[in-house]
Amino acid sequence: MPDDTLLRLAPRVGASLPSWREVVAYLRDSGRPTAIDVLRSARATGRPVLQPRCGVGGHEEMLALLRHLDTAAAPGMLSVTIDSHTRLGHFVTAARELRTDPGRLNGYPLVAHGWARGRELTESVRVPLEVRHGSPDARELFASALAAGISSFEGGGIGYNLPYSKDVPLAESLSAWQRVDAVTAALAAEGVVLERELFGTLTAVLVPPSVSLACTLLEAVLATEQGVRSVSIAYPQGGEIHQDVAALRAITLLCERYLPQDTEVFPVLHVFMGVFPRDRAAADALVFHGALTGRLGGATKVITKTRDEAWGIPSAEANALGLITSAVATSPLLDFIRLDEARIAEETAWILTEVAELVEPLLAARDRVAAVCAAFASGALDVPFSASRNARAAVLPARDPGGAIRYLSPGGLPFSASTLRRNRELLADRAGRGDVTDVTGVVADINHFADAIPVRTPEVSQR
Amino acid sequence: MSHVDDRVVVLGVAESDAHAVANRLIEFQLRELGFAVVNLGVCTPLADFADAVAAHPQARAVVIGSVNGHAVADLRDLPALRGAGRLPCPVVVGGNLTIDPADRPEAKRQLLALGVDHVLDDLTELAPLLLAPPDGAQVPDEVVRA
Ligand code: B12
Repeated sequence: MPDDTLLRLAPRVGASLPSWREVVAYLRDSGRPTAIDVLRSARATGRPVLQPRCGVGGHEEMLALLRHLDTAAAPGMLSVTIDSHTRLGHFVTAARELRTDPGRLNGYPLVAHGWARGRELTESVRVPLEVRHGSPDARELFASALAAGISSFEGGGIGYNLPYSKDVPLAESLSAWQRVDAVTAALAAEGVVLERELFGTLTAVLVPPSVSLACTLLEAVLATEQGVRSVSIAYPQGGEIHQDVAALRAITLLCERYLPQDTEVFPVLHVFMGVFPRDRAAADALVFHGALTGRLGGATKVITKTRDEAWGIPSAEANALGLITSAVATSPLLDFIRLDEARIAEETAWILTEVAELVEPLLAARDRVAAVCAAFASGALDVPFSASRNARAAVLPARDPGGAIRYLSPGGLPFSASTLRRNRELLADRAGRGDVTDVTGVVADINHFADAIPVRTPEVSQR
Repeated sequence: MSHVDDRVVVLGVAESDAHAVANRLIEFQLRELGFAVVNLGVCTPLADFADAVAAHPQARAVVIGSVNGHAVADLRDLPALRGAGRLPCPVVVGGNLTIDPADRPEAKRQLLALGVDHVLDDLTELAPLLLAPPDGAQVPDEVVRA
């Protein structure tokens, strides 16, 4: 790939890949629909594209999984979920595990398998694929994905750093993702528009909407600085439907306000990403609730979950069932449902205010990458339960009595007095417990859905 | 009552695993119980656990969480470290250890064969194990179901 100059890959890596011309031609001229084609036509119909997460270690097993999902559940897109070793750039470990026991990998090690096998994945199903991972520096994986003909790539310098690594400096991950975005823009100039989905789920557990939206918005701004003109902004279902619908609607409004006018934006909903109920019937209900939330919020795409979530990597059957449950939830059967629009409008207005308070000081900076890094260092940007040391994790969220996610303690987030007052009032029942060590309260909020329905049936025990 | 220094616990998450929430909650829980917790956080190579034990030789245990299914692969270097005389204190492992829950008994056997001292099935087993008197003293059977 001569354009590995843009990715700044090691020469050894560049040499193992097909040429840039060949990569572009394979993506553009194959006649297969790309992710963007699927998203654009879904937007026209008003029904979200449904896409599962799926990835297993072995190549034959991965082909079988993709084919099963494609035929059994007719998704709009499919995923190639990458294993943890590859995510962290431990390609040698991933290759060793692949040789010894691929069944022990928690995803598909695309770099170890190589781009040629990746093309077999692309060609095995009717729908486009997306690489879903969690790599602070994804350049080599991105190159493999492009060479494999995969037209959608998830991640960004904030959302694929803080939840996924211990100590990668944000300056490093943001700069690696600027390279990915520059290549995305170069491909668009060749007529290949990639889907670039930004991972607003962050640490997945009790993420307040304005934290999620601030991070993805900043990533989107940085992507547009590199020339990207199409972004998918993903938001994780929190569980209170008015708040979630408001957050999804806010995506379009925020992008109109802060991104270049010619940027295409697809709101995406990630069905609940926190602790799932172990009871499989309760898990099914949550999957249904999530997909419905996505449709009501106008998401162009919904990433589905499964009844196996609390237990382990889902079986192909459970994954197909998650898609079918979500298809019912997003079908015209439920078009009669109306929500309290006044409540949604009020939530939306507050979300816009909170996001503005978080991002506007940073957008005003000349060097926005430096501003983002400084903000995380000072706590002016923050994520709860950060895996990385490069965020303070001083922000403490809590659920209000209706289940919406609020700020119990804002940590160092620069909120206005009125924002702080509103959050305090909504959490009046928690008064005086704004302490990170209030473990009981935090655990109850984390287990909001897991505890909602007591286990009725004896489950297959893990022991 | 033992001196505070006797109650150091080195805590962390296995090398390929970025799940942070249980790690945070375990840290709070152990602090509440009076332990001095050296929390190495997510994605911690075994060698870093060994370095932390070298810096805190009085550590009562090394407690490693793994929920992403890669426990066995992430602990494969334990025999080499132990062979080099590093990581002398008990190693306790818990979490969601395997991709397929049915493989858990086999994974437990493999972890014990690698030299892990205790593989716990449930978080509630951790405090009683750590609170039991150190230095090879008898720990109740239901606590260590290794
Ligand atoms: C939140 C979450 C995430 C967040 C994590 C954010 C963060 N940095 O913390 C995000 C979205 C980023 C994420 C990413 C991934 N995740 Co995840 N995640 C979850 C989820 C939904 C909840 C985990 C959680 O926080 N629980 C709350 C805490 C308090 O409990 P816990 O971690 O489950 O641990 C309990 C026990 O295991 C035990 N325990 C934990 N540690 C220890 C340690 C000791 C010593 C002891 C005794 C006990 C113990 O006690 C806890 C309380 O009971 C679970 C599914 C679920 N449970 O619903 C999946 C889950 C754990 N994730 C999973 C996977 C595989 C991943 C990924 C590898 C992606 C993938 N391939 O699918 C990546 C991680 C990449 C990496 N490098 O590791 C799988 C693990 C499957 C397996 N073991 O076979 C699960 C089960 C989902 C699934 N069904 O596929 N995840």
